[in-house]
Amino acid sequence: MKTRSFVQFVAPSVAMMLLLLAAPMVITFYLSVRNCALEMEVVKVEESTPFGKRETITQRAKLDANGRAIESCEFVGLDYYRKVLGLDKSVPLQVDQPPDAGGKPTRAGDPADNEFFGALKFTMIYTFVTLPFVLLIGFLLALAVNGATNKLKGIFITASLLPFIITPVVAALSIKWLFRDNGLVPYLLSHFGIEVFWMAQAWSARMLIIVYGIWHVVPFAFIVLYAGLQSVPQDALEAATIDGATRWQKLRYVTVPHLMPLFVFITLIHLMDAYRVFEPVIVLTQGAFTTSVQYLTYHILLLENNPYKASAAAVLTLIGIVVLLIPLLVKTWREQKGGI
Amino acid sequence: MGKRSLPLSVLLYGGLLFWLVIASLPVIWTAVISFRQYVDAFSSPIKWVAPFTFENYTRLWIDKAFYRNFLNTAFVTVCTVTISLTVGCLAGYALSRYRGALGFWLLLVALMFRAIPHSSLLPSFFTIFDTLGIRNTYFTLIFVLVAINQPFTIWMLRSFFVNIPIELDEAAQVDGCTRFQAFRRVIIPVMWPGVVTTGLFSFLLAYNDFLLSSALTSGDKMTMPAAIANAITAETEAFLMQGVAGAVSITIPLIILVIVFQKQIVGGLTQGAVKG
Repeated sequence: MKTRSFVQFVAPSVAMMLLLLAAPMVITFYLSVRNCALEMEVVKVEESTPFGKRETITQRAKLDANGRAIESCEFVGLDYYRKVLGLDKSVPLQVDQPPDAGGKPTRAGDPADNEFFGALKFTMIYTFVTLPFVLLIGFLLALAVNGATNKLKGIFITASLLPFIITPVVAALSIKWLFRDNGLVPYLLSHFGIEVFWMAQAWSARMLIIVYGIWHVVPFAFIVLYAGLQSVPQDALEAATIDGATRWQKLRYVTVPHLMPLFVFITLIHLMDAYRVFEPVIVLTQGAFTTSVQYLTYHILLLENNPYKASAAAVLTLIGIVVLLIPLLVKTWREQKGGI
Repeated sequence: MGKRSLPLSVLLYGGLLFWLVIASLPVIWTAVISFRQYVDAFSSPIKWVAPFTFENYTRLWIDKAFYRNFLNTAFVTVCTVTISLTVGCLAGYALSRYRGALGFWLLLVALMFRAIPHSSLLPSFFTIFDTLGIRNTYFTLIFVLVAINQPFTIWMLRSFFVNIPIELDEAAQVDGCTRFQAFRRVIIPVMWPGVVTTGLFSFLLAYNDFLLSSALTSGDKMTMPAAIANAITAETEAFLMQGVAGAVSITIPLIILVIVFQKQIVGGLTQGAVKG
């Protein structure tokens, strides 16, 4: 295909991505170093109460001739980054340093300081705690289904897909209702003497988010690995059997190496998706105990109603994902140089 | 398959059964309590059997006009899927046929775009759409969802187009087709299975989106997931039970989808993995 017709064919898609993905990212950066505020004026309000007169000083927005609020915008540099990162103003700041370099460890969900590191910390915990479970349970399921009789395979795959394709916000809500007080799980656990108010403590709320994450992603790992198992070279397995390899040895030295690229693939996809964890955070804790980086931007934008500070959080989030993906990018670039 | 010892078989089927329960329990239990009054749905001790009521559904669909949210979702997802596939097929086809470095870089950039956390786009979306006065409209949401879907769509469609022999294009062009006619008349007809599979995933992405839909729509333009957001904080009994009914209502079309298209979904999930 000639470059000219290639460009024509991809133009609509590229235009869409430039307009609604690339341009907004640039604008986000622009917004993050600015601040617009309504111009306020101070007014004294006198109140007569039964206990005497009280004077309060409040602010209200200045209005222009048309009755619209006047906004004034200014360049504020990295002020909002400092705020989001919880850094003291006197400390010199380099934005693009790796996220853990300057941050003192803080508790997540303490929005007063270090909002971003708190959110990043939980996002990383979530990512790296769920990952081994997803790979392991997915692999065990794939092995089990592969060994099950053919009749059951279809039913099993259909049922397993459910947690993966269900609307995440609905799934998180369902889990919340399951673990709510007077819900099913606390009732069942009470038989074993376990009494936990799941949504009322930081550790249990975080654990629920992680449980949700595992439950949601295991089917994906399972399906991919199950498909991979179908292409394990049978002659290699037979040769191993003839050589007297045990079941475990065949698994360890034939099957697992064959599936290695798929484990890498699942890990990559999971890294990207776990970094975006959002629905369980908003549903299960409402940001009270723990936040994720996506939730942080959302929270600042919609609840604190500050698009400029939210932009700073968004830019930091984007830097984070780039840092996370750099190993992948370097690897791809090397392969490209080596020729496809 | 070698012969299995009895304990291993027990372990295998026991494990599978256990996962089956875990996988379906949240959905099944939510469905069960959606037909109950609040006092029966959340009680201590749990009631295994309780009086059946349809009230939560009638309240939600009729009194709260949930059909409106359903129609919004239907409209938004149908438009998103159609536009995504049209734009994506053109790009995916070109990417599968072009040998230059430009194609590689486009795919790499698309891969990075796929990883963008969606909330990072929201501050500028708010600013841009408010300035233009188009924040709470169907088409804004549709185009945002199409753009978000594009990276994934072109990757997946490309991997399907690669399987179609290039001789087919050449034959069509020898017979006097232009490049576009060859694409339209010859390639697309044999591409249907790939288009359907990609369409399914694009549907799931649009249908399941909560973050963007709830941020960009409000009032009577809300999609189903956006509308159910009320249930997150709802602690009044009637509200909560309507949320439960809403959750089930959102899930039913998905369950039908899985049953009908199981093969395509499984195929799609493995497509990216097997092809690298």
